[in-house]
Formats: sequence, C-alpha cells, structure tokens
Amino acid sequence: MQYRRLIPVLFIMNGLIVRSEDFSTHQIIGNIINEAARYNQWNVDELIYVDISRDKTYDSRRDDHKIKAVDSIETIITEISKVCFMPLTFGGGIKTIEDVDLRIRTGADKVVINSAAYHTPELITEVARKYGSQCCVISADYRMVDGTPILFTDFGSNNTGINVVDWVKECQKNGAGEIFLHAIDRDGKACGYDFDTISDVTSATSLPVIACGGAADVDDFIDVYEETNVAAVAAGNMFHFTERAYPRAKKDLVREKIHVRP
Amino acid sequence: MSDHDRKYLVHPERPPKMRYCSKCVSPMSSAAPITFDDDGICSTCKVADQRDEVDWDARMKKFKRLCERYRSKDGMNYDCVIPVSGGKDSYFQVHIMKNVLGLNPLLVTYHGNNYLPTGMENLKNMREVFGCDHIFFTPSIEVLKTMNRLGMLMMGDMNWHAHCGINTYPIRVAVETNTPLMIWGEHGFMDIGGMHSYNDFVEFTYRNRHEHDLRGFEWYDFVEAAPKFGEKLEAKDMIGFMHPSDEDMDRVGVRGIHLNNYVRWDANEHGPMMVEMYGFKESEEEFERTYRRMSNLDDMHENGIHDYLKYIKFGYGRATDHTCKDIRAGLMTREQAIEEVRIRDHVKSKDLWRWLEYVGWTEEYFDEVCDRYRDPRVWWKGENGEWVKDNLWDKE
Ligand SMILES: [Zn+2]
Repeated sequence: MQYRRLIPVLFIMNGLIVRSEDFSTHQIIGNIINEAARYNQWNVDELIYVDISRDKTYDSRRDDHKIKAVDSIETIITEISKVCFMPLTFGGGIKTIEDVDLRIRTGADKVVINSAAYHTPELITEVARKYGSQCCVISADYRMVDGTPILFTDFGSNNTGINVVDWVKECQKNGAGEIFLHAIDRDGKACGYDFDTISDVTSATSLPVIACGGAADVDDFIDVYEETNVAAVAAGNMFHFTERAYPRAKKDLVREKIHVRP
Repeated sequence: MSDHDRKYLVHPERPPKMRYCSKCVSPMSSAAPITFDDDGICSTCKVADQRDEVDWDARMKKFKRLCERYRSKDGMNYDCVIPVSGGKDSYFQVHIMKNVLGLNPLLVTYHGNNYLPTGMENLKNMREVFGCDHIFFTPSIEVLKTMNRLGMLMMGDMNWHAHCGINTYPIRVAVETNTPLMIWGEHGFMDIGGMHSYNDFVEFTYRNRHEHDLRGFEWYDFVEAAPKFGEKLEAKDMIGFMHPSDEDMDRVGVRGIHLNNYVRWDANEHGPMMVEMYGFKESEEEFERTYRRMSNLDDMHENGIHDYLKYIKFGYGRATDHTCKDIRAGLMTREQAIEEVRIRDHVKSKDLWRWLEYVGWTEEYFDEVCDRYRDPRVWWKGENGEWVKDNLWDKE
C-alpha cells in the first residue's frame, strides 16, 4: 500500500514566502531558499510551491542578507532544486505549455495548474500528452456558496458557478493526474479540514487528492487521514510557526498508525 | 546585490516615491518584512489592532497549562530558561514566570561588552529582586572587536554578534541543562513588521533566527570571511555562537515560546510597572536618536550607531519605530511623530567615537563602508552628487 503523504505548501509572492489568509491577507515569512533548505533538512515527502504574485515583480526587500534577490521564476526553481532533493511541484502563473516547459526544464517534477485549467482546459490534455498525467496537478480552489462547494479561479476572485466535485471529474477526463483541493474559506484560519467536500471529491474521482486548507495542529492531520480517503494532506502556514514542525507531525502520525513514510 | 553592480539613480532620475503607512509613520522600505493593504495601512498596525480581539484570560489559562507540563517534577532542575538583557522586557518576563506563575527559571545573559552603566545596574539588580540563578556569558573581547569590524564589512552591521549571541547562547544553555522550555518576550517581526497573526502561536525557530535575526549568516561565514578582510577568527572562538543540532534539540525537546502570544504586551505599561515594582531604572542621559529612555540599555550602540546604520540602509531609524508604537498606543499624534522623526532619524550619534576607538577605525572609513549599504530604493544621487531621499514631511 502506498504511503499517504504530508506536504508543506509554500506560497510565493513577489519572490518571498508569505503567510496567506483567506487568499487576501499576505504576510511576509521570508526568503524562499532558506525555507527550502530547512525543509530539505526535515526530510519532507514533497514540496509544493505556488506563486501567487499578482504582478510578477520580485523583491528581496533588503540586500544586507547573505542570500540575495531572486528575480525570476526560473531562478527561483533552479535555486530551490539546488538545495531540495525531494519531489518538487510548482504552480502559479501557468497559462501555456511553454510555461510548463520552463518549470520542468528548470527542475520541477510536477506542475500545478489552476485558472488555466478552467479558461483553457485543452492545456491539461497537452501537458498530460507531453509529460504524462502524473506531472499534471490541478488546483481546485473552492468556497462554500449556500452549502455547495463552488470552484473559484483567478486568485479566488472568479465565481465559476461550477460544483467543485463536477469540476474534478471533468479534469480527470481531460487528463489530469492529481487534484490539489484547496478550501479558500479555511485558508489561514486554522479551523480544521472540510471533511465533507474532501470525501465527496475522493469518491467522485480515482485520482489522488491532496487536501489543503484549515490545519492548526497535528490533530487536524490525523482527523483528515482517518475521516477521508485522501492520498495526501497539505498545509501552508503551520509548518512555519514551530521548530521541527514537520518531523514532529510525522512522528505523531506514525504513533497514531497513519500509514505515512516515517 | 553587491555594491559593485549596484546602480544608484542620479538626478533627475529617481526611484519611485516612498510610501508611508497612513496610520503610523512606517516607510515601505522597512527593514522588517512589512506589507501594506489597499488603504495604505501597514501590516504592523493591523496586527497590533488584533490584540484587542484576543481573549487574554483564555490565553493565560492555556499558558498556565503549558507551563505546568514543563515544571520540574522533582525540583531537581530549572523549569525554564529566560534569556534576559536586563531591560524592561526581561523584568516583565521574569516577573510573570517567577512571581506570577511560581516557576523556577534560569536567567541567561549574553554580554556583548556594550552595556550602558544604567543597563548594567538593571541587570545586576535582577539578581537582587528576583532571586533567580543567572548565567552571564561574555565572549572574548578580542573576538568581539573582530566580529564588530567583520559585521560592518560583511553586512553593514557591527552588532551581528549581539543578534547572534542573544539568539544562540540561551538555547545552548537550554540544551546543556536539559531544560526544554524557553521564554522569550515579543516576537520581533510580529511587533515591528506584523509578520504573524496572534492565532499562529509562533515559536522560536532556527529558520526565523537564521534568516531574520541573523540575516542568513552563521558563525562559519565569519570564520570564512575573516582572512579576506585581514582578520583572524577560528571555530574555537565561536562556540557560544553555534546553534545546537536538530538531534540535540529533539533529545531535549526544546521549544521557545513568545510571551506576547499569551500575555497582552504593552511596553508603555510594562516599563513604569517594572520601575515601580522592582526598581528598574531608565537611562539618566537622554539619547540622541530616540526620545525613549527605557529601551536598549544593554547596548550603547543599539540606540546609537547601530540604529544610524539602519537609517543609512533604509532611510529611517528608531525614532520612527518608537513613534509608530506610540501612535498605535494612542500616546502620540502622527504630527508629533513627524517632528520627532525630523529631528532624530538622521543624527550621527556620539557613541560612534567609542566604537571607532574600540575597533580602531577612522570616521572616514566608517562612512565609506556605510555608503556601500544604502538601499537604492531609498537613496539616489542629487544634482551635486549628494545622497538624497524622500522624507516623511515632504509635501505631495
Ligand atoms: Zn502602520
């Protein structure tokens, strides 16, 4: 049986790691490379980076630091792959197959596609044909609207009116290999995972589902592994906040007999 | 970017106009990782406002439970380690842990050889009034002088040794004495930068220390750089600056909590309270670069030339930081703040003379090194080759 994964997801804004809340408040946590190096020491299963910059400017803020400015997505990926030896997934700002090429070429193992999957669904098929389905992760961001999980695109600003469960089925048909299911309402709120939607999505698709949004502590991980069939659990903010957060979480999961890589 | 490939704009060209927070006086070019919202209000102001929404009674309950878990079962060890400089925050930390919660803390001080007389009096007084065991750690003065010079040359900051010592020596003690719980005061960049939310319960981490407090440098970078600058420094000189390994931290289970997540932190209240209860003393002398007399007495350069370097780099100094806090606390208007900033932020303070003599540098050399670190988003060259920047009081 395959291990169930625990994945830190890192949000990049203008070249810096940020803490995200509700897809709208972003506080700077720090330098991408320092963070990546630390995660490498923590032996994480894989890392997902999502560039959520609204405009693609890169700002290192101050230059009396040892690690200097990063000025493009290419540099970011190249530098990260130098210090990270786990599988690396990269998302954000991917509109065309050339965008995908660039990321794979510079060191990404998989890409995350969000808005483009909605605006140009044929991109999913193209990526799957060129690199294989396993390389193509679809980020399905949703909000609850009158009790229904609705797909939102474009940084959570565009209400598509589509039920996220239907959307995931559609993506699978188009050739997607994995689903990154992200609850916008729970982003940065530390209120626990959305078991209902996660279960609905995992029963609607045979693709591996990564659940994200709502983690406060390791109990939330335990709950979502136990209550649902997710292949992986992701969390953004919480791994930033405490020392050895990831290895400690893994230890607790093993103790609770969750089938994760120790 | 190094000074070599940096391009400063020259009049009539100039960088984009500096933005300032519309509530306090924080500039966008902050040394702290600050962000602005759509109304032009900075992240620090917003996080400071969060303090009113926190249920502090519930937090205290949570904190007591946390502390009980770490209290030594047989009384054969300390219950926690508290890093103290002898400042008002140190007093408050020990006040809470020892006298409010009844724990047995071990106090640890990094002594960087820059104490002001009042700061030293305050530190020694802690032994009298709190009755705690207390470790003072002073690195070799020769090593300190070398690190002062290297810090200036490597990153425009002579006080890197202090940032590193304060953020390293106590955790070494925690590991060595098998005392897992460390009690820090405020989280630095939460206080000036608004980095976190009060719901994060952010703790001390190697990464935050390494990147933000130490700017990505470690002791080995100093050892490596030393010969390049004609200095001598070896690993054996740097033991107090070496962070414990992950294995050691795991074995002891070290965690450093920030008290400002559990107790409402208000320096303007705590200061007078510590004066009253424990005889904490303000500086007798006024500082040039800030009007506050209660802060940073453990280091004569903190309110002085170290802070002047921040002005050189980012175009603002401690008068900006302190007025920002006082605006948020409702003690000062924005107009009053602008006046303080106008008269203080640019001042080259007189402690520079001690420092130059201490390390054997000339003022000219100091100025030359300073200029390498001016931020091109802040400074440009004027018509006559002079340094120019935007100011808080400029008309639109
Ligand atoms: Zn502000």
